[in-house]
Amino acid sequence: MNEEELLIRAAEERAIIVNKYAHGREEGAQIDPWEDPQFEIYHVTDRYGFIHDERIAQRNDKKQIQVEMEREKKWLKMAKEWDHHKRSPEKLRRRVYKGIPDSLRGTFWSRLLNLETIKQEQKGKYEEMRAIAWKWSPDIRQIDLDVNRTYRDHVMFRERYGLKQQALFNILSAYSVYNREIGYCQGMSQIAALLLMYMNEEDAFWALSALICDKKYCMHGFYIQGFPKLVRYQDHHDKIMNKFLPKLKKHLDRHGVDTGIYTLKWFFQCYLDRVPFRLALRIWDAYLLDGERVLIAVGYNLLKLHRQQLMRLGMDDILTYLQIRMERSEMDDDIVMESLQRCMEELKKAKLHYPGPSPPDELPKMPFGTFTEPTFEQKVGRRTSELTALERVATESVVLRRQQTEEQLEMDQLSPRPPGATSNGHHRLSHISGSDGGNLGGSKFSFDPSIDDASSLVSRRSLADTSVTSTADLSVFSSVTRSHAQDNSLDTHSNVSDESSGPRAITPTATPRALTPQPSAPSPDVVRIYVPYSSPSPPSPCRQNGDLPPRSLPCPLTSDQNKLIIKVDNNSQEEQTPIVEHGHLVKPFQLNSPEIDLK
Amino acid sequence: MANRGGAAQRPNSQTQGKICQFKLVLLGESAVGKSSLVLRFVKGQFHEYQESTIGAAFLTQTVCLEDTTVKFEIWDTAGQERYHSLAPMYYRGAQAAIIVYDITNMDSFGRAKVWVKELQRQASPNIVIALAGNKADLANSRAVECDEAQAYADENGLLFMETSAKTAKNVNEIFLAIAKKLPKNEQVSGAGSANQGRRLVESDSSAKTAGNCCK
Ligand SMILES: Nc1nc2c(ncn2[C@@H]2O[C@H](COP(=O)(O)OP(=O)(O)OP(=O)(O)O)[C@@H](O)[C@H]2O)c(=O)[nH]1
Ligand SMILES: [Mg+2]
Repeated sequence: MNEEELLIRAAEERAIIVNKYAHGREEGAQIDPWEDPQFEIYHVTDRYGFIHDERIAQRNDKKQIQVEMEREKKWLKMAKEWDHHKRSPEKLRRRVYKGIPDSLRGTFWSRLLNLETIKQEQKGKYEEMRAIAWKWSPDIRQIDLDVNRTYRDHVMFRERYGLKQQALFNILSAYSVYNREIGYCQGMSQIAALLLMYMNEEDAFWALSALICDKKYCMHGFYIQGFPKLVRYQDHHDKIMNKFLPKLKKHLDRHGVDTGIYTLKWFFQCYLDRVPFRLALRIWDAYLLDGERVLIAVGYNLLKLHRQQLMRLGMDDILTYLQIRMERSEMDDDIVMESLQRCMEELKKAKLHYPGPSPPDELPKMPFGTFTEPTFEQKVGRRTSELTALERVATESVVLRRQQTEEQLEMDQLSPRPPGATSNGHHRLSHISGSDGGNLGGSKFSFDPSIDDASSLVSRRSLADTSVTSTADLSVFSSVTRSHAQDNSLDTHSNVSDESSGPRAITPTATPRALTPQPSAPSPDVVRIYVPYSSPSPPSPCRQNGDLPPRSLPCPLTSDQNKLIIKVDNNSQEEQTPIVEHGHLVKPFQLNSPEIDLK
Repeated sequence: MANRGGAAQRPNSQTQGKICQFKLVLLGESAVGKSSLVLRFVKGQFHEYQESTIGAAFLTQTVCLEDTTVKFEIWDTAGQERYHSLAPMYYRGAQAAIIVYDITNMDSFGRAKVWVKELQRQASPNIVIALAGNKADLANSRAVECDEAQAYADENGLLFMETSAKTAKNVNEIFLAIAKKLPKNEQVSGAGSANQGRRLVESDSSAKTAGNCCK
């Protein structure tokens, strides 16, 4: 085929598709029987519109609906005083995290996204874009393929070329010419469909647009070529994992499940299809209120809540868990959302709650809604060249992440280490060995009591409020602890005993131990340290692990008399925090510098 | 290199004779049926409305070959061009790949050739590549001739079959053919440590592919 023929073919193809959606299901429309999913007599629709097999037991939402009905009044009142609540959103926030009543979701999502204002400003623009798209959009083919595959188990999208499918097709194609830098990226169709479950066509278009370009959400950087924001968010997620869930991180790395593998769908679709739909709605409530920091916090929260299960699994099962089982999780949504709020506070204290504003390469460069004719390659759907520079960056960074993880794992294996310590300790130490060992820094100082806490539902605050610091628990420490403490390497504590204490390290007792000390700790050689410390600046990324020689850990002291209690509170006025051993004060403990420079 | 201990940690892996574990990746244009092929192979099912794959999905399936159990760790990737830049993450270290095109769509065949080139350049040198012409049930709207694809496969030393995820035609067969072609010299032993990768022994990667297609 020559160029002209290719162009003609592409134009014809587009016209046929557009025509089908334009006519929808009106009389005379030709729709193959296989295009419509069959409704079986056993099928029932849940309260959100998803179709299930009745023979498979579904959750009973009656109570939830009751609660929501009672809340509706409060929400309606809030709607009347909206300006006030937007300005001082404490009450609003509290309520949003409890869940917007489903019947009012559309209303409040629209308000959170400022749709009225946008629509006023952009009158007529949507129709204009839609008309241009029908004539020109080079993404029509892919959009059509995906509309055909988006939430077909939902009543609204079940019928091929039905009303909501038409709307979905329209807003995606209109958007593909409105924002030419993105065009259409797989992943957007589910978001658009979600919005359409709660809004009409034009509102959903502007909502999608707000999510992509409003600086509160800035999804633009996720969907453009090379996915620069994805790379940045994954790095940030790694930082959080290294700091708060190092054992789990190491476990996942060791099984080949690095951040690059499981976070893409999380970030691109704000957890749609990766948690139960009803929980996804709650997360979306929070996302629309608080913006992109919710994306980061939910990832941390989910891994924290599910880490005991994950720690028990090997590669296949970890991935099945993250891809499928988490979506079917029966965990109570309220508990997840409460935990989310605590995670957000925890991250905030550590200054890790926000990966920072989008750098220029993640921001739109061209004005929206100005039509430029697609290039020949775009029209016939052919790529212009090999990978673009931006894409190469993405390729390199995903490969690099894997390589570094592997190198790190290898290094952990090669370097000698005391029997009680895990590779984790090494991993962390290798990052900081460039600096003075006596210097305690933010990154080193990342011990969080909840890491090994069997009950992830205990908030950091509740631990802080109780000044219990001596609860014995093997899951936190092994004998190597003490020597570490003397070495001022507090961070390694949290990493100890991954392997050495075997399965005990993840005992699933859901007891808030700080409140209820376990009377019969399996080993007397155990300590608990509480370090309420927030780093003044987030530690810089620990990217080049390979080039620093690992420092070997000091030999563990194995005396079973050891009992060490340390309390370090860097925020308190006290300059010195006592270390107590065998009930005696042994030496003052001082933090020289709360910061450390990670090169 | 650097395979994880993975299945090696299964307690009974030593009792089952020879077990081999291979990483296999599926590549190809969007909507050619990659996910559908995997779903058919792993679960024996077919969904008309198979959701598009965002990023990638992972599944496993085990097949038995005489005295050997072959376990496939399957990475099903996203087909949209934009996700191409992430593909190396999945084909890196893969021992096998299935490159899929849709026999009713000539462009998807062109795209498949691009993937073949990329793998020949960038993937492990011993990687076993299979080409799958999917949607063979739609032969009456065929756009890619079987002979043409077969000739291309022969030239490039690829396994080739026309498949249908819908009717299950050649789905198990193509995976089995790959399993047969993969070198199975080394056994996965019980002692699973993180970096105990099986070193794949240099084998007849240049061996002529068995002609295997059409009807
Ligand atoms: N007739 C027919 N249809 C098929 C066959 N395999 C897949 N399909 C259909 O083709 C569409 C796309 O299939 P998928 O398996 O989602 O394609 P994919 O390659 O995974 O697509 P991406 O995830 O977007 O890369 C679906 O509607 C399938 O039902 C086949 O063998 N015959
Ligand atoms: Mg797919």
